[in-house]
Amino acid sequence: MATVPVAAVEPLARPAPDVATGGPGRGRFRNSIAVGLFMGPAAIVLGAIVVYPTVDTIIRSFFDKSGNTFVGTNNYRTLFGTTEMLIAIRNNAIWVIVFPFLVTFAGLVFAVLTERIRWATAFKTVVFMPMAISLFATGVIWRIVYETDPHRGVINSAVGTIVDAVHPPGLYALPNIKPISGLAAQPDGSMLSNNTVQPGGTLKLGLTGILPENIPPGAQDAHAPSGASGGVSGAVWRNFSPGGQIGVIGNGEKGLPGMHLTLLRDGNGSVASTTSVADGSFRFNDVSSGSYRVSVDSSNFRTPFGGTNWLGIQSLTPTSGLGSTARSLLTIPLVDISEIIAMLWIWSGFAMVVIGAGLAALNREVLEAAKVDGANEWQTFRKITLPLLRPVLIVVFITMIINVLKIFDIILGLVPDSSQHEANVIALQMWHLYSRFDYGLSSAVAVVLFVLVVPVIFFNIRRIRG
Amino acid sequence: MSNITFDHLIKRYTPGAAPAVNDLNLQISDGEFLVLVGPSGCGKTTALRCLAGLEDITGGRIIIGDRVVNDLPPKDRDIAMVFQSYALYPHMSVYENMAFSIRLRKLPKEEIDQRVREAARILDLERFLQRKPGELSGGQRQRVALGRAIVRSPSAFLMDEPLSNLDAKLRVQTRAEIARLHQRLETTIVYVTHDQVEAMTMGDRIAVMREGILQQVGTPQDLYQTPNNLFVGGFIGSPSMNFLTGTVSSDGGSVRLKIESLDIALAGRVAELARTRGNGSSLTIGVRPEHFDTAAPGAADTMRLPASVDVVEFLGNEDLIHTTVAGKDVVAMVPSVRGVKVGDQLELHVLASLVHAFDPQTELALTGSDGARPAPPPAVPAQAPAPAAGTD
Amino acid sequence: MTAIAAPAPEAPSAPRWAHLRRILKSTPVNVLLVAVGLLWLVPTVGLLVTSFRPAADYFASGWWQAIAHPAVLTVENYRNILHTGGIGDALITTVLITVPATLLVVLIASLGAYALVFLRWPGRDWVFVLLVALMVVPLQMALIPVATLYGHLGLYGTIPGVVLYHVAFGLPFAIFLMRNFYSGIPKDLLEAARIDGANEWMMFRRIVLPLGMPALASLAIFQFLWVWNDLLVALSFLGAYPHPPLTVNIFNKLSEFGTSIDVISTASFISMIIPLVVFFAFQRYFVRGVLAGAVK
Ligand SMILES: Nc1ncnc2c1ncn2[C@@H]1O[C@H](COP(=O)(O)OP(=O)(O)O)[C@@H](O)[C@H]1O
Ligand SMILES: [Mg+2]
Repeated sequence: MATVPVAAVEPLARPAPDVATGGPGRGRFRNSIAVGLFMGPAAIVLGAIVVYPTVDTIIRSFFDKSGNTFVGTNNYRTLFGTTEMLIAIRNNAIWVIVFPFLVTFAGLVFAVLTERIRWATAFKTVVFMPMAISLFATGVIWRIVYETDPHRGVINSAVGTIVDAVHPPGLYALPNIKPISGLAAQPDGSMLSNNTVQPGGTLKLGLTGILPENIPPGAQDAHAPSGASGGVSGAVWRNFSPGGQIGVIGNGEKGLPGMHLTLLRDGNGSVASTTSVADGSFRFNDVSSGSYRVSVDSSNFRTPFGGTNWLGIQSLTPTSGLGSTARSLLTIPLVDISEIIAMLWIWSGFAMVVIGAGLAALNREVLEAAKVDGANEWQTFRKITLPLLRPVLIVVFITMIINVLKIFDIILGLVPDSSQHEANVIALQMWHLYSRFDYGLSSAVAVVLFVLVVPVIFFNIRRIRG
Repeated sequence: MSNITFDHLIKRYTPGAAPAVNDLNLQISDGEFLVLVGPSGCGKTTALRCLAGLEDITGGRIIIGDRVVNDLPPKDRDIAMVFQSYALYPHMSVYENMAFSIRLRKLPKEEIDQRVREAARILDLERFLQRKPGELSGGQRQRVALGRAIVRSPSAFLMDEPLSNLDAKLRVQTRAEIARLHQRLETTIVYVTHDQVEAMTMGDRIAVMREGILQQVGTPQDLYQTPNNLFVGGFIGSPSMNFLTGTVSSDGGSVRLKIESLDIALAGRVAELARTRGNGSSLTIGVRPEHFDTAAPGAADTMRLPASVDVVEFLGNEDLIHTTVAGKDVVAMVPSVRGVKVGDQLELHVLASLVHAFDPQTELALTGSDGARPAPPPAVPAQAPAPAAGTD
Repeated sequence: MTAIAAPAPEAPSAPRWAHLRRILKSTPVNVLLVAVGLLWLVPTVGLLVTSFRPAADYFASGWWQAIAHPAVLTVENYRNILHTGGIGDALITTVLITVPATLLVVLIASLGAYALVFLRWPGRDWVFVLLVALMVVPLQMALIPVATLYGHLGLYGTIPGVVLYHVAFGLPFAIFLMRNFYSGIPKDLLEAARIDGANEWMMFRRIVLPLGMPALASLAIFQFLWVWNDLLVALSFLGAYPHPPLTVNIFNKLSEFGTSIDVISTASFISMIIPLVVFFAFQRYFVRGVLAGAVK
């Protein structure tokens, strides 16, 4: 956790009581010594490491790289002219718009639901636990979760399981499989016989590009098909053997079983379907007279789900036709969404605990009064609980805005180098410039970040001082 | 040892605001049990805290013994304080709580132990010495607070409403306990309360305050019998004194007081005072409920007030009757044997010597022929309370 | 009479029905939350299992398949990394930063909060307002000037420099938290102590500090986790340090994410162990700290 919930707003901060008995006989002098001793260490450290540097950074942002030449607002102009910075601002904007809502909502749902289960403590512990883990380690953890290969990434594995159940991969999902004799590849991925055939006729459909180990077990040697009266028959086989000939079923050439085939009436669409048997032969019975072709279905070659690149930069919004600046502003790369999910994993527990405490602090009698007044559970929640929780929800919301403005470590941990440019954020940009020793520009970025949190500062002060 | 003197004490919390304590002059002699009483917010606590050294004072002097302590920090004033909340240190045992102050003074270990055990013995706390305050009942905590004060053997105890967090029964018990403690230790106690019953039962002398201003100081009997003004008259005694204001009309022999449509004959001392004020002047008379009776006492200087009974509260030996006299509420306490009923029209009798007279403008009690502030000669014989018994 | 007698036969069955209805009603919620709970565990478990698998397995099959065959799990990665990876040194650096940064913040904040609550001085309220403002100032705001300052003082690239930075940026929240807690201490206690003869230091040491322990515990846990988990400050000031702290150590390996997954997952898990232990051991205080910071 790189950011403690520092936004830490206390709606009801108690005014410091005047215990502070200056008390008779305690001369101003002795009192100032006490103040100096108690407050001194904090004042020195804060002054030297926080207050003075903050002012200095603001000043430096108007100087050049070396810090010697005053350049006015040049740094800021440079900044807002680079796509790097614009992308960073765009990403922070996405974060601020999306994330606080999601976290507050998740926290609210969890907090309300945990009131109805007996194992609430266990649940809260599990959901709260990520708070102890560093944002950076969280990045690493989720990078494993998001692995593109469904064999490695648990999300893609889950998605793949569903996709493959709906559209099972074909028996012949082989990268190099292709037609070689008697048929030709179609744009839709199927293969269609070159010749037409009448009832009683036969077709030989030869494929190649199949490694021996990819031939389904139990396949037998293919035979030249013999015609069947009133039906269309044929063979689909691996037309490849040492010394074999194209278009001829050679010795030892295997049939391709389990191939899904469709009979198409010329110009009229599908009439029947069948599946090839162990020696690769197939047969459509009771075919009325006419001329037909046979198609090898595309489903035979369908590859299994290959995984989504969750940490990639593919845009979720259409940006074609936009200028480059507009594009950099309006793109929402997928990696942003994936980061947000990982952040939700961390902060939902915080929201849940804070909102849960708010719920627990509600006056039960008010809720009971609403029930007695005839409100059902939803109405009670909507009209009583939610308005009473408002201050707590606002606190969570504000805390999250702060967190998200300063977001940094999780990007470094989660986002692979290839996507870092698209996933850039203000805090990261500042650090990049800092490590390039571009102090003027870097300071300007820090000031931009600072300006963004200033409204929250005023909000907190107003809240805390009542 | 040490007397305590408030000399023109003024305390203002915020500059320009009305002072919380306004020109307080009060002497408390060594060994005395003085109670500061008054309604909430009248400045009692403020006066006590100034005495303790917890507040800077705005003006005047506070003298303990022969030292002006205005600029002395609390620890050097040789006083101990019992707080309303007890202010026990929650993380220390009873023993450590009591030992805290004398440990800070670096007393020898044996003496600390001896003093703490002695205080615990007096207060019957020996069994609880190792407990934390959180593990004690309210009454026990209260005793620890007393114990913490006792071990210091200070020259004065300051107590700020020490009984207000106890239930009614415990309060009566502890009241007696503190009184006994006072007799035993013979140490000055300055005791703050808003409860006049507590004040009356405990104090050697009582100081009544109102809005920062001291109204009257005296023994409980003084305050009961010769209140200085309307406020003290009404504040001391329970139920409160009844007040009726009217216009004096004197024609030769008889002096009468016209209250609305009612016209009552004044008698005795009150008649004299009214006559002195003159015809047409206004006058407030005050009568304590327990001084009324419904049966004719037969004495010459009896005054009679026609009343209609609205409510009767049965208290056992007495009835508390709420009546209307000339459109005003008047409460009277009469023996139950009188059998007063709601709706009765009757006459309330009172001995003129028990009637108090006040100037309604200045609210001061009328005493001499010039109506000046009382130089308190007892206007009423000392045995005056419990008049009902005498006339029964 | 009959009115009372009539429902009697039903009476015993009524509670059973109610019970059943309650169970039926709560089932969807229970199922949903079990699912959410499992979902929340998956990422951490994934890292944990990965760290116990040979690197080659990472490419061969998903970690969840290893759960079915625990035999393939091995502590080899941990043995390797502890001997070769410099993780031991990194761990020591992290501890050397975290422990002083935590203790100093706790000490300085409890003193400062005392001055804010129990001493009366001009400007006290303004200092508090300033602290509230400083609570949200981004760490980045001070990086460059402090780096320059450290350069002059010889603190750049040193552990004390990093400690000081963490102390400074931890203080506003720390003082805020302690102040709120102290404000709840009844003022009578302090006055009693004053009358008992305590001076300012005694009142702090004997009354306020012991009573503030729960808040101090919360604060210490917060600060500990925050510093332990920091990447930015360490990266900025200790990037070139020979034994950088854990987070930086892992960061340096991250560019070979795939091939070094055995080292990365193992190091990541090592970096998480202590925070997780602290979290589970002191969860109560941690939650209290969160709430003190957030809602009171
Ligand atoms: N710390 C304070 N700051 C400002 N005003 C105070 C303070 N303490 C008491 N007061 C005011 O001084 C007056 C007297 O208060 P106090 O002495 O506490 O009354 P009492 O103890 O008789 O109830 C009240 O009007 C009260 O509001
Ligand atoms: Mg008071």
